[in-house]
Amino acid sequence: MGDASFEPLILTFCCNWCSYAGADLAGVSRLQYPPNIRIIRVMCSGMVHPNLVIGALTKGVDGVLICGCHPGDCHYLEGNLKAEKRAEAIRLMLQDFGLEEERFRLEWVSASEGPRFAQVVTEMTEQIRELGPNPYKT
Amino acid sequence: MVRVAEEWLSTCGGCEVTILDLGEALLDLLPKLEFVHMPVLMDHKYYGQTGEKTALEIPEADVGIISGGIRTEENKQVAEEMRKKCKTIIAIGSCANFGGVPALANMYTIDQIFDKVYRETKSTDPASNPTVEVPPLGDRVYSVSEVIKVDVGLPGCPTTPELVAEALTCLLEGRPFSLPERSVCDDCPVKREKKAITNLKRPLEKVGFSPGQKFEEIRCYMEQGFLCQGPATRAGCGGAERVPRCIKAYMPCRGCFGPIRAGANPMVDMMGALSSIGLDPKQIEDRMATFNRFIGVVGRLRPQPAR
Repeated sequence: MGDASFEPLILTFCCNWCSYAGADLAGVSRLQYPPNIRIIRVMCSGMVHPNLVIGALTKGVDGVLICGCHPGDCHYLEGNLKAEKRAEAIRLMLQDFGLEEERFRLEWVSASEGPRFAQVVTEMTEQIRELGPNPYKT
Repeated sequence: MVRVAEEWLSTCGGCEVTILDLGEALLDLLPKLEFVHMPVLMDHKYYGQTGEKTALEIPEADVGIISGGIRTEENKQVAEEMRKKCKTIIAIGSCANFGGVPALANMYTIDQIFDKVYRETKSTDPASNPTVEVPPLGDRVYSVSEVIKVDVGLPGCPTTPELVAEALTCLLEGRPFSLPERSVCDDCPVKREKKAITNLKRPLEKVGFSPGQKFEEIRCYMEQGFLCQGPATRAGCGGAERVPRCIKAYMPCRGCFGPIRAGANPMVDMMGALSSIGLDPKQIEDRMATFNRFIGVVGRLRPQPAR
């Protein structure tokens, strides 16, 4: 582990209303963060079904990050609370599939939190670089 | 005359009973069928009746019916021989299609299984692994379709007589056969009130109904707090009547018909659905086995890495 040449691939789901705008802000502010993420814009973090997360991880993605609005700020009132409930189920299932819990993260990033988005991505990339490649990637 | 060969691999034999259970449909089918090989009914040896041959041999047939998953080297050779000799292969039962109950063993390594069976259980006098005249185990349980090409798959534990009759009739008449892409809930007649559940009951507790009550008046078992796999399970077990079998017996669905679509993972679907309607997912005991009871192969059961 800790192979310096290993570049993790992190799939990121950003909600349309807060986190995607947050990621956009990080971009237009020219904040530096690792290029290891691939962002998929979704309407709400609550619409990211565990199937998508587990599916991505068992197909060999090194990590999955879901970003949503802060609790209480959801455009759809409680979509992010649903995401939180599902995240709990996802963490349990990661154990079942023999994956490290750290490969999945749910973070709240608002539209004004460009620096926070960059920080979350940097943190997660470093953490997964430590963990090494996904065991399913054979 | 259609020649039929039937073979059982790693299975209990329940699906063979289903074939015999066809009832009157069997009487219509029988004159058109000739069984040339069927270990459960007839004494037909693989290496010639007196063991004079050197290679495993199954007579040629038009239709080959296989039940059971592939656990041992012997299962594998028999399946391959069936494929060579039969024009059409029908895999019947959850074991043949998804590994079935034997595939729960895929959660453990071969060494763990041998240790448990021959040494570790309380009532066992420790002994060494048997080595004489037993076929070696494969590295895990495989479904038949992972090893050979399967033309028609009939799921279910056991599969239903209606499906067997339907598949055989379709073959005889040259019609295509397909399974519905609906969930058990789509066929289920019970009353849904769409309220969230917060507490799970054990399957041993009694489902709330009074004798003689119509299914349309009984509350959905899941809403009553019983873990029912209907939402993530393929429909079709109810036959013409369309009331799912387990529901008819006042038991929640256990998922023997497997995923609704090829490639779906019922455990992930169920966990996602249950957690978004407010149930604490930690309440579900032994998730891997509960949701993969019959479908270990497609549910990707595998030994847990030590952590």
